[in-house]
Amino acid sequence: MVLHISNVSKTYANGLKALSNINLRIEKGMFGLLGPNGAGKSTLMRTIAALQEPDQGSITLGNIDVLKQKTDLRKVLGYLPQDFGFYPKVSAMSLLDHFAVLKGISHKGERKEIVEALLQQTNLYEARKRNVSDYSGGMRQRFGIAQALLGNPQLIIVDEPTAGLDPVERNRFHNLLSEIGEQVIVILSTHIVDDVKNLCRHMVVMNKGTILLEGTPAEAQESVRGRIWRKHIDKSEINEYRSRVQVISSYISEGKIMIHVYAEEAPGTDFIPVEAGLEDVYFSTITKN
Amino acid sequence: MFKEIFLFDLKQNFGKPSTYIFFGIFFLLTLILGLSVAGVFDVATGDSNIIGNSAHAVSGIIVGLNDNILGLVNSVILVAIMATAIQKDYEYNIHPLIYTKPITKEGYFFGRFFSAFLTAVFVFSAQVIGYYVGCLFGMDTPRMGTFTLMNYLQPFLIFSVPNILLLGIIFFSVTTFTRNTLPAYLFCIVLLVVRTVSSNITADIENKTLAAILEPFGSEALNHITRYWTPDDQNTRMIPLQGSLLYNRILWTGIALLITILSYLKFSFTQFLNPVTFFFKRSKTATASQGYAHAPLSALPVATQRFSIKDNWKQLFYLSGFEFVKMTKSTFFIIICALGMAMMFIVAQYIGSMYATETYPVTYQIIESVASIFQLFILILVVFFSGNIIWRDREQKMDELIGSIPVSNTVLFFSKYIALIYVVAVLLAVASITGMLIQVSMSYYHLEPLLYFKAGLRMLVGYTITAGVCMAIQVFSPNKYLGFFLSLLPVLFINIIFELLEWRNNLYIFNSSGPGMAYSDMNGYGHTVKSWLIFKSYWLSIVLLLCLLALMVLPRGKEKGLTARFRLSKSSFRPVHKIALALCILFAISAGGYIHYNTHILNRYVSPKQMEEEQAMFEKTYKRYERTPQLRIVSSYIDVAIQPYKREVQVEGFYYLKNKYNLPIDTLFVDYIGGEKTNYHYNTLQPLREARVIVDDKKSGVKMFVFDQPVLPGDSIRFNFNIYFKPKGFENRGTETEVVYNGTFFNNRVLPSIGYNPDSEISANRAREKYGLPHKPRMAAVDDSVALRDNYISRDADWIRFETVVSTSDDQIALAPGYLIKQWKKAGRNYFHYKMDSPILNFYAYLSARYEIKRDKWNDVNIEIYYHKGHEYNLERMIRSIKKSLEYYTHHFGPYQHRQVRILEFPRYASFAQSFPNTIPYSESVGFIARVDDKDKTKIDVPFYITAHEVAHQWWAHQVIGGNVQGSVLMSETMSQYAALMVMEKEYGYQAMKKFLKYEMDIYLKGRTLEAKKEVPLMLCENQGYIHYNKGSVIMYALKDYLGEEVLNSAVRTYLQKVKFQEPPYTNAIEFVHYLKEATPDSLQYIIHDMFETITIYENYVSDLSYKPTVDGKYKVRLAVGSAKFRSDSLGKNEQVPVADYIDVGVFARQQNNTAQSDPEKVLILQKVRMDKPEKTFEFIVNEKPYSAGIDPYYKLIDRTPDNNTFTFGSKPPKVNIESGRNKK
Repeated sequence: MVLHISNVSKTYANGLKALSNINLRIEKGMFGLLGPNGAGKSTLMRTIAALQEPDQGSITLGNIDVLKQKTDLRKVLGYLPQDFGFYPKVSAMSLLDHFAVLKGISHKGERKEIVEALLQQTNLYEARKRNVSDYSGGMRQRFGIAQALLGNPQLIIVDEPTAGLDPVERNRFHNLLSEIGEQVIVILSTHIVDDVKNLCRHMVVMNKGTILLEGTPAEAQESVRGRIWRKHIDKSEINEYRSRVQVISSYISEGKIMIHVYAEEAPGTDFIPVEAGLEDVYFSTITKN
Repeated sequence: MFKEIFLFDLKQNFGKPSTYIFFGIFFLLTLILGLSVAGVFDVATGDSNIIGNSAHAVSGIIVGLNDNILGLVNSVILVAIMATAIQKDYEYNIHPLIYTKPITKEGYFFGRFFSAFLTAVFVFSAQVIGYYVGCLFGMDTPRMGTFTLMNYLQPFLIFSVPNILLLGIIFFSVTTFTRNTLPAYLFCIVLLVVRTVSSNITADIENKTLAAILEPFGSEALNHITRYWTPDDQNTRMIPLQGSLLYNRILWTGIALLITILSYLKFSFTQFLNPVTFFFKRSKTATASQGYAHAPLSALPVATQRFSIKDNWKQLFYLSGFEFVKMTKSTFFIIICALGMAMMFIVAQYIGSMYATETYPVTYQIIESVASIFQLFILILVVFFSGNIIWRDREQKMDELIGSIPVSNTVLFFSKYIALIYVVAVLLAVASITGMLIQVSMSYYHLEPLLYFKAGLRMLVGYTITAGVCMAIQVFSPNKYLGFFLSLLPVLFINIIFELLEWRNNLYIFNSSGPGMAYSDMNGYGHTVKSWLIFKSYWLSIVLLLCLLALMVLPRGKEKGLTARFRLSKSSFRPVHKIALALCILFAISAGGYIHYNTHILNRYVSPKQMEEEQAMFEKTYKRYERTPQLRIVSSYIDVAIQPYKREVQVEGFYYLKNKYNLPIDTLFVDYIGGEKTNYHYNTLQPLREARVIVDDKKSGVKMFVFDQPVLPGDSIRFNFNIYFKPKGFENRGTETEVVYNGTFFNNRVLPSIGYNPDSEISANRAREKYGLPHKPRMAAVDDSVALRDNYISRDADWIRFETVVSTSDDQIALAPGYLIKQWKKAGRNYFHYKMDSPILNFYAYLSARYEIKRDKWNDVNIEIYYHKGHEYNLERMIRSIKKSLEYYTHHFGPYQHRQVRILEFPRYASFAQSFPNTIPYSESVGFIARVDDKDKTKIDVPFYITAHEVAHQWWAHQVIGGNVQGSVLMSETMSQYAALMVMEKEYGYQAMKKFLKYEMDIYLKGRTLEAKKEVPLMLCENQGYIHYNKGSVIMYALKDYLGEEVLNSAVRTYLQKVKFQEPPYTNAIEFVHYLKEATPDSLQYIIHDMFETITIYENYVSDLSYKPTVDGKYKVRLAVGSAKFRSDSLGKNEQVPVADYIDVGVFARQQNNTAQSDPEKVLILQKVRMDKPEKTFEFIVNEKPYSAGIDPYYKLIDRTPDNNTFTFGSKPPKVNIESGRNKK
């Protein structure tokens, strides 16, 4: 099953152009959507999840026309939004059961089985009787994934799932996602480069509603190989460098500032070449425009 | 610091649109009220002595807007403005930014509070401003007086401002300390309870002062201090800040200030971060267990997703259950239930009290008077929950999770709808069970669960409609709170406004039920069940239509705006949906069309204004025949066939009409019930003498004949008529309740009458002006010699012979005045032949129902009670009353002209008892279900009293009848009151009279404040109930006290024997009062003048009282009392006259065994003294320790302040201000 997105554009009522002419072909496996806040990632994901209507363009999943056959899409969709909550005072078990009913799993025995299995899977089984609204951040995200997995979905969309998780939880979450990615299409949006690096077979970098870069993480890294340079500078010098060269990132380091610069050749003698990471790809892409 | 915070916040508040929206809501509402008072709307007009722009009227508006559900709207708006003044910092999460600034606590707390308070004062000022602007449109009309700013400002300052302060600080504190607005909203509902309960408690006269002080908003206090204000007082006086109102305002403003200070002291920036919780448990955050081992995903069991129609239904009901559980588990629901139940119990204590006698808590009473309170709660709950369930997913950020799930909009929406219906059903069940518990707790065991179920089902249908519309509105509304207000539009506001405009077509009055008919034990829901069903299906289809439209824009995902939401949802707008939509439209149109056909085509839809125009037309056309001499009915023979289950009546009858004048009569004016689409069909109206028809006006109901040969003096002719009654379809409002399945009751008003009928004229003079008609006196002058030729019961007859055959279905008994001379069955119907053996007034009635009969006998008089099975409670009491009455009346007034007395129960569509010749129809709601506590001597035995009154009419109305002029009710109603009082006094002792007379005085004093035309002295009474019943009781009892029972009775007996069964000209009140004067000694002649010929009001009061023990173990009492006497004009304007009257003074001891069984006090001294000075001091020696003392302690004289007649020793009577017309208390 393949997800085709072609010529999708969306402009909000306030004139903000959230998506402009997006074309993507996404196959089974983990697909990373990388971009800064406000890049249009969430809009794109909601549009794929049929929670928003694009102004133009078409989206198909296999032979489902997403924009027309919304109900058919929803039958094979698992969606974990960026910002979500749960009803207060409902236990994980009954809430997941609730979602299962909504997803059409009407056979009671089957429902009980899948709900328990998913709680096991996401390691929430012991905490199943507690209220989801009292869960910690990581548990909430795992619960979110559990509900997304209900009903054998073919397309799973997860929007910034690891934001705010501690490293252990994040790691767990990655494991879970990568396993899911072996079966179905998983679209993961994030602004954390490592997430993509670790998990995704394919990725795009988005900013201001357009796709700036597409490929595998390795290809991407290859594309900037030998073009990233670094230098320690004084705080006061930063603006000067910014005007002169393409500074893609800057970090405070030992009281000075370390800048990474994108350039075909060394911009100056005291610049040292850097082994480009995915992070540099990302920053160079979004600072280019 | 205060100033900066205050001004900044104020600027913020005045920058918010909501401030102006609230202002606008109040402004519009009161503007419309003002316009309506100003007479701007094109509606029917009534008379009134009251102007709309007096301080009293403005106070009434302010206080009225704070009542009931409108008060709830006030509270909710106040919560919105004031509750979050500090809480908003937390809500928007900027408190860390603010609390870390160097601000002072007082600056922050008071700055925020006062800016919110000032905003609220601004918003509420719209209530006064709107009303003021509305009133301006009535300037220079009699509806308005001189415009004075103070009349508007003063009530605002006395009522609005302290109330805003009180409620504001409570909402502000509660919200600030709990950091949640829910408690404030719940408090609004508690306030609703307080309002309802306090107004119920004050129905009992004894608690009034206390209730006036304790009710928080000053409305009871206002009622209390102005309760006896005459129209003149109401129009001219400011609201005096004194007495109970002053105490009330001081008490509650004090409480408000106290709460403010306490809240200020309690408030601290750190506390605010740790809210006080009372209902809400703080949640603990769960932590994850650490182990992390799991099976591969592929090992997950397979679960099939099914999306068949059957599964959709399953989903629907599963979800409804889920939503239902969520709602019923909420604090709000539980508190509403608990409050509703508590309130039902409280209000049940005061159920149906009349003269402080309770009725049995029969099921329909519980349902109507008690459950109606619960209904208000249900309404609140429906509005609240419909907002919450529509917005909850978005508020709890579940919207995207749910939105991406393969569940249809239809299932999502309707599951919530069904859940809400479940919730209402549960509440109704709770109300029903509470109702039954109340019945059991009052030792009433005739439980009718089936009736509760039926009533509950009817209400459920109504709420289903309301809930649907509220939910659809919430879907369309861009905001939950706006949604709440929009929901109130159809549910509340529109109906109020349409009513003011007299737009009464039930097709556009939301959730209308069609013609209403109260539930009756006798007749059940009667014949309106069908029309009710049609109306409800009409509204249900409209509401479903709205819901289906709402489905198309159901919020799913994050799209904002209706068009975007429609684009997203339109794919689910499938054929099924379209068909459903079309069906709803089709159904709404056909139900609406059918309703229109019934209400406008089969029946006539007339607005009150149109009715007025037709009355004017009738008068203009036919008034000229008013004094044309007419033949008079001397005999009626009528054959009546009642088909109760078809609601049809056929009448075939004839009159004998006699020329009682000295001139030949050549015209015959026949008046009957006309109208275009009337239920009454007058097929034959034909004199049996050659005559030609000169007018045949079916619309006005007039047919006139000119005889070829005039009827000579003394000659009679026969007049035949045939009438067919058959209602067609159903009306818009109201329905004929005279002919019903069980409990038919109609009188000879439906038969043709002879001569022009002035009762069809417009009576309100303001309306008459509109149509160019001259002002009309309510009744002819007492000595109008033309009017005295008619009696006030009928214009076209004097004393008639009466005979009738009446038939009905085989399970019913049909009744009419007269003696049963034959009874038979024919063709499955029961026939009864009644005949009178002596002449009667032209006043008779027909009844038919499934009756039980109870018989008894007094001497040779047969006593019969025809009653509905199950209503046996007071039959013995009624019979005893009949016997005692017959005994007293035959002994004191003269012989009884009949050989039977019958009481006939009829359904509660009217609540009176009425005396026809030897026959007394008696409403099921009057007396039949009264519960008399024989042990409590101070309670009045209502069935006994009403029966005695009605039996007295057999003398006072059916023997003596006054002319059709002012004051004639004195010899019927007032004398019947007197007669009943005497029978009651013989039976229950004079102590029982005390409370009764106090009630009568209270009703009189209140009644005169509502007088729309003019108050008149008793002997000129123009059929004004508060005068001829209530003032009449007090005066006749006092007269008996002054003259003595024997002297008075012998005077009235002499009068009665002289005038009974007289032919015209009839007697009048002048003649009656003349007999009283004759019997009165010279020294007391003034009382006749005071009581009958003028409106005389006293102010009798205690100014000081004390006692000292004497050496011989007795007590020396010193009592200073005052008396002022006033003559009142027709508007209640008083003029003081010198007092030189004989008035009781009394000293009382406390009864030793002071239980309810005995008299609460013991008389030590009771004597008449002459009050020839405004104040006098008396000294008495009494044998026992005195407890209380006073002047006119039994309220024999009409007293404008009955409360200050007696005081207990040790209390300090307040100073009485004679001049201002009102005492300071």
